[in-house]
Amino acid sequence: MSVATVPLEAPRGRLLRFVAAVVTPILAIVLAILVGGLVVLASGSNPIAAYQQMLVGAVGSPFDISETLISSIPLILAAYAVSFAFRCGLFNIGAEGQLYMGAIASTWVATTLPNWPGLPLILLCIVAAMLAGGAWAGIAGWLKAKTGAHEVITTMMLSYVAIDISHWLLEAGPMTPANAFGTPESGPIPPQAAFPVILPSWILPNARLNASLFLTILAGLVFAWILWRTPLGYEIRAVGFNAKAAAYGGINVARRLVIAMVIAGAFAGLAGMVPVWVQHRLYDSFSPGYGYEAIAVALVGKNSAIGIFLAGLLYGAMIHGAVAMQANANISGFLVQILQALVLFFVGAEMLIRWILRRGGLRALMEAAA
Amino acid sequence: MSAEAPRSPAGLPPRDGPPYLEMRGITKAFGSLLANDHVELSVRRQEIHAVVGENGAGKTTLMNILYGLVHPDAGEILFEGKPVRIRGPRDAIAAGVGMVHQHFQLVPVMTVAENVVLGQEPGGIVLDRAGSVAQVRELSERFGLIVDPTARVDTLPVGVQQRVELLKILYRGSRLLVFDEPTAVLTPQETDELFEIFRGLVAGGKTVILITHKLGEVMAISERVTVLRQGRNAAVLETARTSPAEIARAMVGREVLLRVERDEAHIGAERLRLDGVKADSDRGLPALAGVDLTVRSGEIVGIAGVSGNGQLELAEVVAGLRPVTAGHVYLEGRDVRDQSAAERRANGLAYIPEDRHTRGLILPFEVKENLILGSQSKPPFAVHGQLRWPAIDERATSLIRQFDIRPPNPDAPASSLSGGNQQKVVVARELAEGPKVLVAAEPTRGLDVGATEFIHRELVEKRDEGLAILLISSELDEIFSLSDTIAVIYQGRIVEVMPSAAASRERVGLLMAGGSVEEVTPSAAQIAQAAALQAAAAASSAQDYASREGSS
Amino acid sequence: MDIVGLFVTVFARPDLWAGTLRFAAPLTLAALGGVISERSGVVNIAMEGMMLVGAFFAVLVAAATHDIVLATLASVACGGLIATVHGIASIHLRANQIVSGMAINLLALGLTSFLMFRFYATSGTPSDIPALPDLKLPVIYGIPFVGAVIGDQNIVVWLSILAVPITWWFLFRTRLGLRIRAVGEHPRAADTLGVSVFEIRYLCVILSGLLSGLGGAYLSLSVAHSFSDNMTSGAGFIALAAMIFGKWHPVGAFLACLLFGFGQSLGINLQGTGFPDQLVAATPYVLTIVALAGFVGRAVAPAADGIPYEVGE
Repeated sequence: MSVATVPLEAPRGRLLRFVAAVVTPILAIVLAILVGGLVVLASGSNPIAAYQQMLVGAVGSPFDISETLISSIPLILAAYAVSFAFRCGLFNIGAEGQLYMGAIASTWVATTLPNWPGLPLILLCIVAAMLAGGAWAGIAGWLKAKTGAHEVITTMMLSYVAIDISHWLLEAGPMTPANAFGTPESGPIPPQAAFPVILPSWILPNARLNASLFLTILAGLVFAWILWRTPLGYEIRAVGFNAKAAAYGGINVARRLVIAMVIAGAFAGLAGMVPVWVQHRLYDSFSPGYGYEAIAVALVGKNSAIGIFLAGLLYGAMIHGAVAMQANANISGFLVQILQALVLFFVGAEMLIRWILRRGGLRALMEAAA
Repeated sequence: MSAEAPRSPAGLPPRDGPPYLEMRGITKAFGSLLANDHVELSVRRQEIHAVVGENGAGKTTLMNILYGLVHPDAGEILFEGKPVRIRGPRDAIAAGVGMVHQHFQLVPVMTVAENVVLGQEPGGIVLDRAGSVAQVRELSERFGLIVDPTARVDTLPVGVQQRVELLKILYRGSRLLVFDEPTAVLTPQETDELFEIFRGLVAGGKTVILITHKLGEVMAISERVTVLRQGRNAAVLETARTSPAEIARAMVGREVLLRVERDEAHIGAERLRLDGVKADSDRGLPALAGVDLTVRSGEIVGIAGVSGNGQLELAEVVAGLRPVTAGHVYLEGRDVRDQSAAERRANGLAYIPEDRHTRGLILPFEVKENLILGSQSKPPFAVHGQLRWPAIDERATSLIRQFDIRPPNPDAPASSLSGGNQQKVVVARELAEGPKVLVAAEPTRGLDVGATEFIHRELVEKRDEGLAILLISSELDEIFSLSDTIAVIYQGRIVEVMPSAAASRERVGLLMAGGSVEEVTPSAAQIAQAAALQAAAAASSAQDYASREGSS
Repeated sequence: MDIVGLFVTVFARPDLWAGTLRFAAPLTLAALGGVISERSGVVNIAMEGMMLVGAFFAVLVAAATHDIVLATLASVACGGLIATVHGIASIHLRANQIVSGMAINLLALGLTSFLMFRFYATSGTPSDIPALPDLKLPVIYGIPFVGAVIGDQNIVVWLSILAVPITWWFLFRTRLGLRIRAVGEHPRAADTLGVSVFEIRYLCVILSGLLSGLGGAYLSLSVAHSFSDNMTSGAGFIALAAMIFGKWHPVGAFLACLLFGFGQSLGINLQGTGFPDQLVAATPYVLTIVALAGFVGRAVAPAADGIPYEVGE
């Protein structure tokens, strides 16, 4: 199985490259909304009403904006995990499992040290999440470097294993609280370890948006800094584009593969910690598939820090907006999944977009960009 | 071996009348590049027609159009005066065209027989495997192209793989045979053998188009030659009435310096020494069987050999990209056997790799990023674990100016550069850190004359400044015009080292083929093979025509 | 707890082995489809989505017509249809095939769940739908143990087992099979001999959709007797792993599917025994990793797998 055609293209001028990077996803989104509208229409409902409800549900009130951001954060962080590995030529489709390991490790630290003071405990939890996610992804990186085992399979298998481990820990294992009954869940995260809520209650009561937003922005900066400002990042990108040439340039390819996976996994581990800290405990099957949707976010965001941030916001808005749409317009919230799939599809099928642009008289622009 | 013009065997139409193949006004653009601009080609029946031109002159595009792999924007193709539409290889095959591509089109993991019959397999729904083997065996015996039909193609040496390509065409009964640079992988002696085969085929009624950039071959085998330059017709010449110089002028559009000017070498101390080096190929087979070699300061040592005799492994062993299984590599007297590629670079080794696309460049990287590959974690490009882009920009600007890299844009991705400029990026980078030893593997492969001259001058200049250069090239011309010392490699062994002044092409050619000096004349077996081939080709062509007449 | 004794008891249950075959059947169908598709050079990670679509439309048509043949045909056709979308993206539009596959998976999940809400939001799928029949084998059924394992298996189980040699024969003994493998290894070589790379690849991708669709129909009509959101829950991905584990070979893929089926069956048979079945459930995945690292080794995928073919580069 080859990922030789990893969609990291490099057209000529810098400006054109930027334009191409922005235009394709935007057009893909527009196309997806159109096709999604047709699906709604075909199922006998009003697409305008559906999208209206979704929009209002996503950003119609300060509370909704706060909730949209909460939905976005794990997606963005996990997408950094997918994308960082991608930059090294590795297709990390197991961010889901890395995220589970991050959630488990941080929860375990927090629940076993309930008497620690807040700040050290938070920092320790963050470190634990990143280490656990990194180690889990690192296994796949190490296997790739040592034996050539394909990372698509190993990361996927490791995901299933991680999820099974979490089932065991919560349903029948050491993390099950003594008085547990009903849905399997961990003990509570000690209150002093919680992320501070950003918006004070006199501005927005019941807002759940917390300081993990800043952590996400910081993660994006780190992501870009490593890749573009350090020799390590240079080497990771070199390996990603052409491992043979990288080896020729004196780069230890095997070591870079492992490091790239570990760093990627650390982002994912962080992504797993955030939802736990929002819900204040680790629930069984707590992730609705963040790690998988993150693949789409990474691709739509064109593997850039800012692109992923924006794509993550869009996907988060769709997810949160769908709740209101299903309730008010009586259309399945799964419309969102259809939209997400279509965006991904159109981003992948860039040739289709180019063709449409050419029809639209933007030929010169796209040819220069191609 | 007859030198007289081939005669028509019985059953074939006469040679006069309309040309056998005519391509008229062929035009094809790839983006803004006009690969073929109103190109004309006219080939007579039973002719060996050479199509020559520099890299990028449009030869391969023209042939791909003839074979239906590329669709022209304008122009028409006529066989015996009748226009034919070729929409794909299927139409080309039906029209009797067969093509041996420069890069062999063989499925490596399949057998010879499977490769030959693919697309026209015997059998119904079920593949008749025994039938395929029998038919291929019969064909190979009839044409004297000996090959085991049940062997897996990736186990065969390149010379034999070429035979398989030839069998593919003959199996389809093609009458117009196109060969794209067929001699690139052959020794001079094997080339002569191939040309004998051509003559036999033509005498038997086939027509041959030979694409090449080697003037010696044109003079040796062709009846006429069509010269292309920058996508346009430059000349059509009768070989008997022209000269290599005239063809070269038509190819390049100006007088060409056929030799590199260089002064006497000032040879200094030993810089690189290999001592009994053994190494394995990627497939785990022994590729170097004990190489001893010395390169001194101010000296160019040229490794002559047919590609695939251990050259790639030799370069990689020196560069530190392939482990040695025995022996030692000394860089300035120090044993570097256990040093990594990065450590050897730091100790003054530079390497221009054989394949700039897979080894030498990271194509999606910008030019300036490529120009620091190998130095990315060293000052001034990296300080305190951070890249310093101003220093990288500065390096790029100065190298781009010094080496005249075009376009002079450090931000352009390397993939957007022409082959010549890409190679300049590699050469500029490798020479930038002031190396002591340079391994240059096929440094001008696929480049036009201008870029080749530039790189040759650069190498000679550095040699005069005291650089020790190990030059690996499968082009004998390049070896002879640059080397101070010539070493011949055959089956992973250096079979002889001689001063270039004392070397003759015949001798080097023979050594490359693993022969000793005694065998200079073609063997009786070769002559017999040529005769068998001629008879078989005649018979098959007559059959083809008979069946074609019968069915139409 | 006597672990050895527990395992002896569990291993002696015919249920364990019958379950192995039952769980392996849909995986086998999808994995064989994957083998065919990837042998032609199209990476297919969309088996999951194809199965899901097959599962849903089988139930939809079964509920509407009460005709098991029509329902099965509909599921197969829908699997083929969504495979065609993957084909268009990866063959004509030269999209990244992994991206396209992910998109198909998401689309299938979204679409089936969306339609599920539209048609059966309140009640769930009807319970009176016909099922794919079990085959009660006259003599064998009476044999102790063996009868309980294979004497009363579903027709699809037998079909999936039968499909293994047929696929092998198709790929390695027919003329078309030779062309498929040539296109997957070296499309240009095939193209220069007049073999249409596009035709072969479309055919193979669609074949994989048909097989996955049938696997999906089996899951909904015969195993669950209903449809629920995301009911394939990763079976397509397991089939993908089995295909790679089995080195892109029909027999190897089948054996890997049996292993996964065994793991699932073992997990179920250990439930209620006090043994941590969640961890047992993870064993096939761990085994896959170990096998991949230890035995299967470096890529043995068809050489052109995943690389879009461009005419006249």
